[in-house]
Amino acid sequence: MGALDGLKIADFSWVGAGPRATKDLADNGATVIKIESRRRLDLGRLSPPFAGDPKDVDGSAFFAQTNTSKKSVTINLSDPRGIEAAKKLVAWADVVVENFGYGFMERIGLGYQELKKNKPDIILASVSVAGRTGPMAGFRGYGNSAAAHSGHAWLTGEAGSPPQMPPLAYGDVVAPMFLTVAILAALEHRARTGEGQHIDVSQIEPMVHVIADLYAQDEIEKTGNDDAGFLVHGVFPTLGDDQWIAIAIENEAQAEALKRTLGIGSLDREAICAATSTEDKFALFDRLAAAGIPAGPVLDGKNVFENPELRATGHFVKLDHPVLGPSTMPAPPYLLHGTPARVDRAPCLGEHNREVFVDMLGLDAAEVEALIAEGSLA
Amino acid sequence: MSMLAGLRVLEIADGLTDFGGRMLAELGADVAVVLPDSCTNRARRLAWHHGKTILSPDDRQAIRKLAVKADVVLDGQRNGDRFGLDEAVSDNTIYVRVSPFSAEGPYAGRPATDLTLFALSGLMHVTGEPNRPPLKFPGQQAYALTGIQAATAALLGLYARRRTGRGQKADLSAFQSATLANYREAIMYEWTGRIGRRHGNLLVRGKSGVRQIWPCKDGYVTWSMIDNPSMMRAVVSVMEEKGAAGELSRIDWENTLVANTPQETIERWEAIIADFFAGHTREELGNWSLKLGWGLSVIYSPEDVRDSEHLKARGLFVTVTDEETGKAVSVPGPLFRSAQTDAPRRTLGKPVPASTFTGWGEQ
Repeated sequence: MGALDGLKIADFSWVGAGPRATKDLADNGATVIKIESRRRLDLGRLSPPFAGDPKDVDGSAFFAQTNTSKKSVTINLSDPRGIEAAKKLVAWADVVVENFGYGFMERIGLGYQELKKNKPDIILASVSVAGRTGPMAGFRGYGNSAAAHSGHAWLTGEAGSPPQMPPLAYGDVVAPMFLTVAILAALEHRARTGEGQHIDVSQIEPMVHVIADLYAQDEIEKTGNDDAGFLVHGVFPTLGDDQWIAIAIENEAQAEALKRTLGIGSLDREAICAATSTEDKFALFDRLAAAGIPAGPVLDGKNVFENPELRATGHFVKLDHPVLGPSTMPAPPYLLHGTPARVDRAPCLGEHNREVFVDMLGLDAAEVEALIAEGSLA
Repeated sequence: MSMLAGLRVLEIADGLTDFGGRMLAELGADVAVVLPDSCTNRARRLAWHHGKTILSPDDRQAIRKLAVKADVVLDGQRNGDRFGLDEAVSDNTIYVRVSPFSAEGPYAGRPATDLTLFALSGLMHVTGEPNRPPLKFPGQQAYALTGIQAATAALLGLYARRRTGRGQKADLSAFQSATLANYREAIMYEWTGRIGRRHGNLLVRGKSGVRQIWPCKDGYVTWSMIDNPSMMRAVVSVMEEKGAAGELSRIDWENTLVANTPQETIERWEAIIADFFAGHTREELGNWSLKLGWGLSVIYSPEDVRDSEHLKARGLFVTVTDEETGKAVSVPGPLFRSAQTDAPRRTLGKPVPASTFTGWGEQ
């Protein structure tokens, strides 16, 4: 039994910012129907890495890991009959999630005011780069736009260095986490009051929130890896090409333990580097941890994939997929002992058309086949 | 009424739960927090703990009694359970134990901080310049990511409790929380065998890398030459108007795959664009991008972010007053826009002895 068993989500979102939130909900038991279209493919389906042919819409591992545990239907939202089907799904749902361009949902008759007329307690959750209100409401950007507009890029790096972009679309990671929290809080509110609402999550604002401690400073400065509150706070070279270990010393007891363990007389960076540079990063991690010293090897992609702690704790689950074959998918980082999550494979495009339109919504099977053939449900 | 009004949350903070408790407080929960003695950083206190009731742990039993009354306990103690919360919580409580690592895995019990967790996430390895040490993200991102997952676990437990009538225990790993944010490196290795490296501000796709950061007349912008013909034409058309396009005018963008273009050619094209960007202000470039769909963003400094008319219109920054010092600071407040949120207390309160705290009724 999952925590969200019985919860119904109509998910119009695509790429990263919405789908990562609905993955959270689906992995925890919610029924998430992902509304896609062959005419406007989720760009996630076109994103590497691929199992084989990049043109196979079911062969993207990127898509598969972002959309676990969901069901997929195809609806052409530029076709009035497709929109009618979408309205039936929305009427079924507790929560509607979308990350379309500004005004699209209103143009197809699925804006919040319309949804509310038919279902007063509906929760509509929108996520966009800059939010749905304010002078930048229509801003069209991509995942890293939020890093630019939040101060994140400006604040990354050593003092005096140019801005540094994150190596991935970090806004597409943080914003959906906020979206998940927002939806769950809105569900609690609905349970108490019977009221639905429209939630408007911006990608920029979560990126500001996660560096709120820097905004609370008198003078905001770039500090690279330093932290003035620690006696040691940095990364140090270890044996091998581009191998490093992070060490953070919070108090005098740890400082003494570090000196003893490394056989050094001072905490100068040079002294620590000289001692760490001949050590294997994993062996040193073991020794430092045993001495009570916070440390962590700087892991690369291979190290993360093969990490024994992640393997032992079920961070990655192995799932069989019709196109990808056995493949590794990330699971939630928490274990709810009473209602554990369960991760199932991502859907193929339109895989659940019949199950959803016929079995769940009660549409006529022949009519559904005709709508698929005519491109309305495609 | 706020979404979580009346929800009682006991938080034992030490970095891992701080932002999670803050999110619940922002949504209206009544959060009482115990801070570690080592939490002397005033900025972090203001950012993460305003709107909560700060308890001084003068009485272990009083903390345990609060755990019994709490709907949610966020237990972020990095160095062992000094209050015996595991036995104290009631069946009705959602008890979220947050630890650096799993409770029983190979790394169980190892010490960790934000920096060491971020190093383990795989994100640090690919951040920064190739000839420099790996770089962390600004602030304390491993802690922030873990905090959000702690709030998520608590709310999942709350949703389940409405159905089952029972609370439950949850274990949350900060290592897993930070690693989950790294959606690319492990999967890229699994499917291609390639191990990502640091490329500075170069966006490497296919056989070539393109710049992401460009100086302009009064700061920096971010933009990349990617395989988007309409975007490339939109940029080049303005450059042509200004007589600055050079050989870019002669390129058939529809039939040019930037990802497969030799690096030296890309760098020659980028030199033309760099000259053009350097001659214009952030406002000019930003306006062209907004109007013509360039996909360019201005790089905001923290001062720019605070002064942003857009963020002012959305009410992101709020003034928080430190009751002990009287000092006021401007920090982000609402998590998102909703009609169902009232502003919580915008103060960092003075610590209240746990033995005298009666905010949840008589002890």
